[in-house]
Amino acid sequence: MKFIKNHITFILPLMAVLIGLEFYFVFERTTKNYEEGLKNNYSMLIVAHDKVDIEYLRTLNSHIATIEEVKKDSIVDEISKGLKDSSKASLSKILPHFYNTKLDTYLSMDDISSIKADLEKSNKIKSVETFDNSHNSTYKLFVFLKFIFKIFILFIGIVSFFLIFKQMEVWSLTHKDRMNIMEIFGAPLFLRSAVMYRIAVTDAFFSSIFISLVFVYLKYNWASSSGIEILMHNRELIFEFGDFFKMLGISLAIVITSVYLVVSNMKDER
Amino acid sequence: MSNTSVINASYLNLSYHDESSEIIKDASFTINKGDFVFITGPSGSGKSTLLKALYGKLKPFSGDLNVGGLDMNEISNKNLQKLRQNLGIIFQDYKLINEWSVEKNVALPLIIAGYSKDIQHTQAKRLLTHVKLLEHIYKTPLELSGGEQQRVGVARALSKNPFLILADEPTGNLDEYSSNVIWDLMENTCEQLNTTVVVVTHKIPNIFSIPYRHLIIENRGIYEIH
Repeated sequence: MKFIKNHITFILPLMAVLIGLEFYFVFERTTKNYEEGLKNNYSMLIVAHDKVDIEYLRTLNSHIATIEEVKKDSIVDEISKGLKDSSKASLSKILPHFYNTKLDTYLSMDDISSIKADLEKSNKIKSVETFDNSHNSTYKLFVFLKFIFKIFILFIGIVSFFLIFKQMEVWSLTHKDRMNIMEIFGAPLFLRSAVMYRIAVTDAFFSSIFISLVFVYLKYNWASSSGIEILMHNRELIFEFGDFFKMLGISLAIVITSVYLVVSNMKDER
Repeated sequence: MSNTSVINASYLNLSYHDESSEIIKDASFTINKGDFVFITGPSGSGKSTLLKALYGKLKPFSGDLNVGGLDMNEISNKNLQKLRQNLGIIFQDYKLINEWSVEKNVALPLIIAGYSKDIQHTQAKRLLTHVKLLEHIYKTPLELSGGEQQRVGVARALSKNPFLILADEPTGNLDEYSSNVIWDLMENTCEQLNTTVVVVTHKIPNIFSIPYRHLIIENRGIYEIH
């Protein structure tokens, strides 16, 4: 019973850290996927005196990812109903060139304004239209949600670390007598602390496997019926195989540091 | 230091803090291989402190102390571990690991030295037979009486055939019968194995039959009584 209690009291805060960590991974992947969608849906309109190509625009600003020229014919057709063909041809000649431009990443309004300014410095470009309002409010909400989530994860992490340190104090009392006796009989530090390392590493493996299984379950049994569109279409966002190794690495680092702190406080008092 | 000396102290001073609070002052003595030595003295005279210095728990404040050919002033951690692995130490409060079995407690010095499980088991069985506790081999120390626990402590002290056994009031917590059993065991060990034994105690037992030396701690000094 005492053995189980010793494990549980260490495993629970460790699991809390790992859950927070895995949620962070899921959130990062989901937001990246969402950002990709926003980025693809966002475009700037460039109005140019002369024809421009992507290379030229990239020399002005490296965030330009793609450009697509808007066919003048469709614009002329729209605005010249009832005009003669010769008039249409003249109109077509005096109309500037229009380009839909996509960016390589999801940027803030300040960055977009900076791109606009860079492009408008060119003599070839007449003006650049951006779509500030809807983009700005979406972006701000997005950044706010990301910030709140990170604060939440950080809070969980801090509380869990306090619980782990508390458990370390219990460990140091539990193992102190045994380690002192072993020290008197000449056991080196690694042998004295071997039991603690073994328990800690076992707990790290158990916690990582358990949390991985929970997220694998969510991936295959919950995501498709979650009602969250982005997760329904991208189940892999919930759990990747590499997550297990990341969690294992971090939990091992936490437990080994914890045991080291306990053990280093029990050094020979000679 | 002669070839047969196991412990050699010269103008040894022991203190937990500074010179003004010295517990042992300018003590000089030699203990040779095969000696059975009682160290007596009133409570608080420094008997246990001296024993701590002998197994390296307390560093000499000044003077020389040599145990098993090692200078206890300059001893490295590695050498201290080696020295302790070759000592048998018996405590008044037994210092057994309560969550371990009796067998594992007896085998502790062998575990530390890296002996195989077979050797650990064989040696533990042999010693537990010797101290008449074989039937308790798989119990934990808390299931045994005080006298039985101390016999486990004696068996542990003997398990790696140490060159020196240090005992700190080994019968301090025991009744007369259990005390006699412990003294009997220690006498036999010294006689049969020619092991050096240093026992700190407040009173030398009447039943003791083999020749022994008697050092007394008085007024911070250590003197031999002939």
